[in-house]
Amino acid sequence: MASHFSSVLQLTDLDDFITPSQECVKPIKIEKKQGKSLAKIQIEDDGSYVQVNQDGGKQKLEKAKISLNDCLACSGCVTSAESVLITLQSHEELLKVLRNNKVEMDVCQKVVVVSVSPQSRASLAAYFDLSSSETGRRLTSFFKGLGVHHVFETSFSRTFSLLESQREFVERFQRKEQDSNRLPMLTSACPGWICYAEKTHGEFILPYISTTRSPQAMMGSLVKGYFAEQQGLSPQQIYHVAVMPCFDKKLEASRSDFYLEKDETREVDCVITSGEVQKMLEEKNVSLNDVEPAPLDTLFSSVSGGEFLSHAGSGSGGYLHHVFTYAAKQLFGEEVKDLTYKILRNNDFQEVTLEKDGVVLLNFASTYGFRNIQNLVQKLKRGKSPYHFVEVMACPSGCLNGGGQVKPKPGQSPKELLQKVEELYKAERPLSPEDDTRVAELYQSWLHSVGEERAKELLHTHYHPVEKMKNGLIMKW
Amino acid sequence: MKGALTPVQTLSAHPDSRCWFVSWNPTGTLLASCGGDKAIRIWGREGDSWICKSVLQDGHQRTVRKVAWSPCGNYLASASFDATTCIWKKKNDDFESLTVLEGHENEVKCVAWAPSGNLLATCSRDKSVWVWEVDEEDEYECVTVVNAHTQDVKHIVWHPTQELLASASYDNNVCIYKEEDDDWECRATLTGHTSTVWSLAFDAAGERLASCSDDRTVKIWKESPSESGQGDLSWKCVCTLSGYHGRTVYDVAWCRLTGALATACGDDSVRVFKEDETADPEQPVFSLAAQAARAHSQDVNCVAWNPTEAGLLASCSDDGDIAIWSGVF
Amino acid sequence: MEVVLSLVSLTATKVLQFSGLVDNRNVLKTKKMEEKALEVYDVIRSIRDPEKPNTLEELDVVTEKCVEVRELGEDEYLIIIKFSPTVPHCSLATLIGLCLQVKLQRCLPFKHKLEIYISEGTHSTEEDINKQINDKERVAAAMENPNLREIVEQCVTEPDD
Repeated sequence: MASHFSSVLQLTDLDDFITPSQECVKPIKIEKKQGKSLAKIQIEDDGSYVQVNQDGGKQKLEKAKISLNDCLACSGCVTSAESVLITLQSHEELLKVLRNNKVEMDVCQKVVVVSVSPQSRASLAAYFDLSSSETGRRLTSFFKGLGVHHVFETSFSRTFSLLESQREFVERFQRKEQDSNRLPMLTSACPGWICYAEKTHGEFILPYISTTRSPQAMMGSLVKGYFAEQQGLSPQQIYHVAVMPCFDKKLEASRSDFYLEKDETREVDCVITSGEVQKMLEEKNVSLNDVEPAPLDTLFSSVSGGEFLSHAGSGSGGYLHHVFTYAAKQLFGEEVKDLTYKILRNNDFQEVTLEKDGVVLLNFASTYGFRNIQNLVQKLKRGKSPYHFVEVMACPSGCLNGGGQVKPKPGQSPKELLQKVEELYKAERPLSPEDDTRVAELYQSWLHSVGEERAKELLHTHYHPVEKMKNGLIMKW
Repeated sequence: MKGALTPVQTLSAHPDSRCWFVSWNPTGTLLASCGGDKAIRIWGREGDSWICKSVLQDGHQRTVRKVAWSPCGNYLASASFDATTCIWKKKNDDFESLTVLEGHENEVKCVAWAPSGNLLATCSRDKSVWVWEVDEEDEYECVTVVNAHTQDVKHIVWHPTQELLASASYDNNVCIYKEEDDDWECRATLTGHTSTVWSLAFDAAGERLASCSDDRTVKIWKESPSESGQGDLSWKCVCTLSGYHGRTVYDVAWCRLTGALATACGDDSVRVFKEDETADPEQPVFSLAAQAARAHSQDVNCVAWNPTEAGLLASCSDDGDIAIWSGVF
Repeated sequence: MEVVLSLVSLTATKVLQFSGLVDNRNVLKTKKMEEKALEVYDVIRSIRDPEKPNTLEELDVVTEKCVEVRELGEDEYLIIIKFSPTVPHCSLATLIGLCLQVKLQRCLPFKHKLEIYISEGTHSTEEDINKQINDKERVAAAMENPNLREIVEQCVTEPDD
């Protein structure tokens, strides 16, 4: 099976450190039964395991399943087998929870929340030939029809991510003389990039990475923190699903940093990709074209007049755009309306500069795809990076081209599809993060009330260098 | 057999270690060798014999697996098990380490310069093939990382005239890459070998590619018009040399001057094959023209034809030696 | 293992029958090969298991019968070793293969080519492992990895060394 994860993750020899330990690699589980103390295990021609008892009787053995928790308990075991993640974070899991809701007693029922990313919406919109907002309304209707209670969207939480990134950058810039590894600030929204950075360049690269939570993780705080409190629910009573353009987001959701120890629950319980949503529709024999649109859930959605609002800049969240304009204003008093992107080595490596009297004040770049990430990291290591800020994404062309997006239809080229998705995404009216009154209100009512330290936890995260595998016994060579 | 391989000289190149690879500079005046002793040695002719001109040490922490001269002959690239590729610049008779290319996850197995000298390719056990671009200031930037193989990539070669790259792998396949828009893509996968493909060589015109394998055969592939008509490259196996090699064939070299095909084999032998010029180009026939049965005392790892002196062949082995041969076919 | 045993004994009987009829040179040759095989076995029997305190002989990972030697040329031999990992999924099989490679490379006094395989049917990823442990480049690189090297050294070093 071809891997679903971003090419960055594939390249990194995940096996080197995810190989489960000797104990958990055991493929068979032996149920001990009385009186059958001596038995042999045989491998059959089809590769199955059979227990041969003393009396000659045979019994097929079941394969033991390794749960994600087993893997997470293992040192550094973030990404164990992809199959583990796929089984634990799949649309089937969501359907299971919804099914249980129908049969369980009230106390065991969960409030199911789905947070849809704008990139996924654009991908599904392209597939069904709808506008992005219309897709949102129909998706809301589809999910609610299945028993989902709330359908939010992550442009809303991204507003927090952008605001925090802007502040973090300005703060880093102002302290750049004191601390050598504050700049360039590298974005943190891409989980493939984070995983690669932690594993391959740990101690060196992590200080440069923005601590701001990704929109998915931000939504995790909002749903299991603020929303739970508002509804009088414990975080555990909410089942939070994110719909993302990317398989690596499943890894992000599994990080211990986004696990609520006290409540024994993850902030995002399950991530399903745009492609998996399409599969779900197919399995239910539903076309979005035939679904009756539903009004949008406006609690955690950026909506105006029934239409979704978006952010300016790239289809990967527009981090460069927003941090650039904010920093130009805050640091140099410059109002920047239009950014000029200069294409460097290839389309996935672009640069934006702010110059005044021939002096470069701000030098920003976006580097997408593994090859450009490589050059960025190598330049940093050689002390030759001229940048103050870099928007880093693992996928070529960024999130709109994420590995979890709906695949091209027969006869459709990937390039055509990407162009269509981009157009649909950009068709949404952008809203400046500062102008989002609902977000500003939440900063006031929620984040101010919890205190500065707690607010920081809710809005930011941590990274952990992964030590290189040193155990020769399980090392791949 | 019509021809003969006559030993000219044996050089104890990497004593108490392996000699993994030898490479002639473009003018054929220098031979670079590398091995398990982490060193690179440069050999030159003085009078009638070949002597060691310089030793390049401290560039790598582990085995130096392969070396490659730039088309201009002024740079040498070395690929090492230490996961790095080192670029050396020739200064008179000496070499200085110019830069170290990092990025591969583990052992770099091969390095090769494109005919233009502006591109460099590397491959690794990490399954990837990288292409690097060199600018005027000797800065190297990665232009692509392609993961077309499912296993260890053992070898890469550039087409002699075009920007076309071929790779050989532990997954038994050969892949051919071309630049498409602004990225490189695998455009053809050559399947047929039943075990690891260890090395590759294009013929002088670049019309055919020879591959050698752990399956003890050598295959000749020829580009043919694409069947699908979708612009994909199509390479077909037009000839398989089997029954000649007693063990793994580790290397194959196609002489640009004579068209002779030399092989390095795990049965300690060096063999030279000649093509029957009267045969149908779609079904070429190769016959064994010369064989040095005990060319070395251990596995022969590499064979290299001198690019300017017809019939001059260098081979190297696990026994640590380089052997220089003079061939008449 | 049984398959291997029967194969080995079958070849042995065939060779013996044949030689008895034609020439006793073959008997001598067989004897010589058996001696060589014992010499090889003597080198590998004391290799320690990477995880357990026992030797490969004690764990029946290798036995006298698992070594086959053939003449390749004058004073040159082909050694074929078929070992049996203790459990089917033993992920240490590649490591045992590495130990066998390394110790024989170091200790055998005669010129040889070496092939190491897992006994048919003893390991679920037999082919993969056979391919890996017979790839000399992979073996050489593994031995330059300090963590792997340390383990291999511990396994192949004689107690009285």
